[in-house]
Amino acid sequence: MSDTRKAIRYFIKYLKPYKKGIAIVIILSLLSSGAQVIAPTFLGCAVTDLTKYLSDLKKGTASLNTFYSALWSMLLFYVLSQVAIFIAWMVMSKFNADSTNDMRENLFAKFQRMLVRYFDTHQDGKLLSLFTSDLDNIFNAMNNAIFEIISQGIMFIGTIVIMFMVNQQLAWTTIATTPLILIVSVLIMKKARIYLDKQQDEIGDLNGYITEQINGEKIVITNDLRKESVENFKTYNNRVRNAMFKGQFYSGILFPLMNGLNLLNLAIVIAMGAWMIISGQVSQAIGLGLIVTFVEYSQTYFQPLTQITSIYSMIQLALTGARRLATVEEQKDEDAVPNGKKIHGLQKAVKLENVHFGYDENKEILHGINISVNKGQSVAVVGPTGSGKTTIMNLINRFYDVNSGKITFDGTDVRDIQLESLRNNVGIVLQDSVLFTGTIADNIRYGKPNASMDEVISAAKQADIHEFIESLPDGYETQVNDASSVFSTGQKQLISIARTILTNPDFLILDEATSNVDTVTEEKIQKAMDAVIAGRTSFVIAHRLKTILNSDKIVVLKDGNVIESGSHEELLKEKGFYYKLYTDQMAFD
Amino acid sequence: MQAFKILVPHFKHYKKDIFAALVAIIVSAFATLYQPKLLENIQRAIMLDQKDIVVRDGVILVVLGIVAIISGIFNVYYAARVTQGVTSDLREETYAKIQSFSFGNIEKFSAGSLTTRLINDMNQIMNMLMQLFMQLLRMTILIVGSFIFCIVIIPRFWWATVVMVILIIGFGIYALKQMNSLFDKFQKTMDKISGRAQETLQGVRVVKSFNQGPQEIKEFNQTSDRLNNYNIVIGYWFSTIMPAFQLIAYLVITLVVYLIGQGIVAHPTDVAVVSPFFNYILTLLWTIMIAGMTMMQFARGNISLGRIKEILDTEPDVKFNENAPTDVLGGSVEFDHVSFTYPDGDDETLPDGDDETLKDISFKIKPGQMVGIVGATGSGKSTLAQLIARLYDPNKGEIKIGGHNLKDVNETALRKTVAFVLQRAILFSGTIASNLCQGNSRAKLHELQRAANMAQASEFIERYNDSFDHEVEERSSNFSGGQKQRLSIARGLVAKTPILILDDSTSALDAESEKKVQQALEHELPDTTTFIIAQKIVSVVHADIILVLDDGKLVAQGTHEELLKTSPVYQEIFKTQKGKRGGK
Repeated sequence: MSDTRKAIRYFIKYLKPYKKGIAIVIILSLLSSGAQVIAPTFLGCAVTDLTKYLSDLKKGTASLNTFYSALWSMLLFYVLSQVAIFIAWMVMSKFNADSTNDMRENLFAKFQRMLVRYFDTHQDGKLLSLFTSDLDNIFNAMNNAIFEIISQGIMFIGTIVIMFMVNQQLAWTTIATTPLILIVSVLIMKKARIYLDKQQDEIGDLNGYITEQINGEKIVITNDLRKESVENFKTYNNRVRNAMFKGQFYSGILFPLMNGLNLLNLAIVIAMGAWMIISGQVSQAIGLGLIVTFVEYSQTYFQPLTQITSIYSMIQLALTGARRLATVEEQKDEDAVPNGKKIHGLQKAVKLENVHFGYDENKEILHGINISVNKGQSVAVVGPTGSGKTTIMNLINRFYDVNSGKITFDGTDVRDIQLESLRNNVGIVLQDSVLFTGTIADNIRYGKPNASMDEVISAAKQADIHEFIESLPDGYETQVNDASSVFSTGQKQLISIARTILTNPDFLILDEATSNVDTVTEEKIQKAMDAVIAGRTSFVIAHRLKTILNSDKIVVLKDGNVIESGSHEELLKEKGFYYKLYTDQMAFD
Repeated sequence: MQAFKILVPHFKHYKKDIFAALVAIIVSAFATLYQPKLLENIQRAIMLDQKDIVVRDGVILVVLGIVAIISGIFNVYYAARVTQGVTSDLREETYAKIQSFSFGNIEKFSAGSLTTRLINDMNQIMNMLMQLFMQLLRMTILIVGSFIFCIVIIPRFWWATVVMVILIIGFGIYALKQMNSLFDKFQKTMDKISGRAQETLQGVRVVKSFNQGPQEIKEFNQTSDRLNNYNIVIGYWFSTIMPAFQLIAYLVITLVVYLIGQGIVAHPTDVAVVSPFFNYILTLLWTIMIAGMTMMQFARGNISLGRIKEILDTEPDVKFNENAPTDVLGGSVEFDHVSFTYPDGDDETLPDGDDETLKDISFKIKPGQMVGIVGATGSGKSTLAQLIARLYDPNKGEIKIGGHNLKDVNETALRKTVAFVLQRAILFSGTIASNLCQGNSRAKLHELQRAANMAQASEFIERYNDSFDHEVEERSSNFSGGQKQRLSIARGLVAKTPILILDDSTSALDAESEKKVQQALEHELPDTTTFIIAQKIVSVVHADIILVLDDGKLVAQGTHEELLKTSPVYQEIFKTQKGKRGGK
């Protein structure tokens, strides 16, 4: 229940700026629905007038004037109702689109502020579906369901009021069956909901199975598992089929049921009307007019009831979407430390002091690490997979914060430095290179969008990728897109190194890629790395021996502890873990 | 509507259901259609004071209501049976077809696209079938019927109905055309939106470390505002269409009622016509509008059918000989002038004829030999290995395993002969045991243990309380890269095939574990022909024969010592790797 409240609060927040528009829409809907309800009464009047005219014809006092005025009134009210609807919808489509746009832009902006932890613990696909399916569901519901609820609600109540004003007896007759109908439809809708949910789950399972099988197709083929794969598929497929059948059935029968009940209700209304004429309660002319009018009313009255199903599921989807979006908005932002210290370059040293950290509070990964990197030094961190090397990088740049202990930049705790200032002074090269849509030049100047072309080229030259870029038909203007098959892993890495060189950071963190590249590219990357390290203070998570040998200090990390540190020669003399690591990699005979 | 053919064979299995659904829909449509006419009769009877007719027609109205409910429910039941039946049968047929594809076929479609087709496109087809069995016939009957009734009730004013229909359809088609181009632009902008969002999700660390959040927001908002403009214009169109249609209908109704009033003296019974005419005109209007939406649904369904048909029409480009024996082939491998190009390899950056991945490769491997394959990235190592497992067929030349040409063997025989450990370790959700048993479904526990031992996986498996029954989660997210590789190697070993291919499958292992795996292979599988594809020469130093590939050509073969003396390419690779290791 609080989930629904959360979703509704989300809607209110985003619709608040459009109060005026909403007020206009409500007033116009009232107007339109009123006109829509009143108009048929004039049609009834017209029929009564015509009947009366026929009987008056014999008396010779016949006049069609009242008939004409009833007819013109009817037309006037219908035109009024449609014009009001038209304006209301125009206004509404504008503010619906605008408020959805606000939601979308706020969501994206929120993404830019959130903790890295959130992205590390949530699947991209699910986050992406916030932009696609959730916002889409919300927009759909706002356009179709919410207005529909307002206008149908007004219609519903308006019809009841007018019915009672016109004729109480027939009005009671029309609404007499409603409680029964409501009970039936709620029961069916509940059932439908269960199976529609189940259907979503089963489709999710089938989707998961197909994705896993086809992505692992080489394994399926080479292990001769294809027949088995089809057999298992049948099981999932059948489950989807059964759930879908029930979902379709229960959500499908409501419409014919309502339609039929509508007819039965009409029969009751007509029977009552006929009885009123026959029993002499009303004159034939008036009675006939009443029947015509109430046949209309009964149908208008039933319309909201028949549409309840489609609106119901639309609203459900929108509420789910709003709840998800609201949950994202609730997430913690990064602490930008707006009043923190601004730093300009590294003067003395970056230090990790007794750092304890775990991604999961109960599972500590770093157990009290001490490392210091003095200005101008290059420090290499080595150690087996899972020793916590990459984690250190996450901490210096404040992608994550330490559990205890501290990291200092010239003696200031990084948590007391303005976040933007800290990150401006710390450059990183990640293991996996990410390129963005745009030109190569855009990608290189990513960290400094106003950089000149000369700066871009100079950075590319230092990263040894200039010649390759020039060899492309469009040179620096070559478009990078998701496929970006033009670039190999190695080339992407070189571009991302150039990107970092361009921002000229004082302190550098490099996470060397372990990926397999051929030896020529590897040499190039090595050279580019050397170029980027030269003259800077750097902290390298090293996988290549050459990088390690070139560094001023080596820190050996194992199971979250610094177990050795010193220069290459010193560590070799110790004959400890580093010695073993080094000789193992060297195992050539 | 060509693609519709693929549904026909499946329809045949549901003949009775289809028949029942259609009969029910016809009954229900006529019930709906007859209702205003009946109301007219009742009103006329009341007017003429014909009590027995009023009673009779009143009863008919009740019956009509009950018939409408029952036929409606019947229709939904049978329509759901056909729709879900045909959809799931077609999905099964499509999946079975995919499982007969060669790997090349699958790559050409891409795994993502195949999944989308099996889920999203099948969903569109299901929606279309639902419309077909629940709406189409009903709509047709209602449109034709209410049109006829509109005219029959007052034949004098037939033109009024015709004019209305022409106006509505004309305006509707015009509006749809305008909106279609808007939808197109909307979709493209939407793709950009999700593309941008995806990029910043993947590159969140880059965005943050370069402080580019504000810039990203600025650019995203530009695109988002553009999307918003399309949304607004589309909304304006929708706001116009409905009121316009209704207005047309009300104008026509007013006109006709006006004319009825004018001629009432000559046609006094027309009084009772007013209400049913009103109802039929509105029914006609609504059904035309719903039919328009149904047509849009059909258009989408038809596109999806075409995408499914494309799968069903594709012939697998690797075909095995089903009549050949299923016995294990021998352990020898022979390549005879084999050349290979990836299908659809229209790499435009390369001149024609230069896009062959493997060029004229010949070699012979004896059973039990350990074979190393080295070369730069892109030299064709993995491709060569995949040809042995016949994931692709060579364009030229022959490959023989155990003396049999691969084109003539039975698939089961080949799979029993060759085990393949892939570069990218993939595990399936299930348990460790269920993954290892994929190599051999009858493997016993001690066989799994032996394989796990050799692959250096025992150490971490034994740490779990449920050891081999430990769960493998979806995307195997509960295992590290190194663990996945070890399990993947173990799976290859469980199969106990005469030929084992390890495609760079120890890259995520530390040097020590890698060495142990190598030693285990050497000592415990002396009779197995083992292919080891490696980046590092150190991984293949002990091989009986090393194949050196360079740009798709087999430039040298021999032992480590021989190659060091004779092959410049090998020497080069050795030099760079040795240099990197700070000299021996």
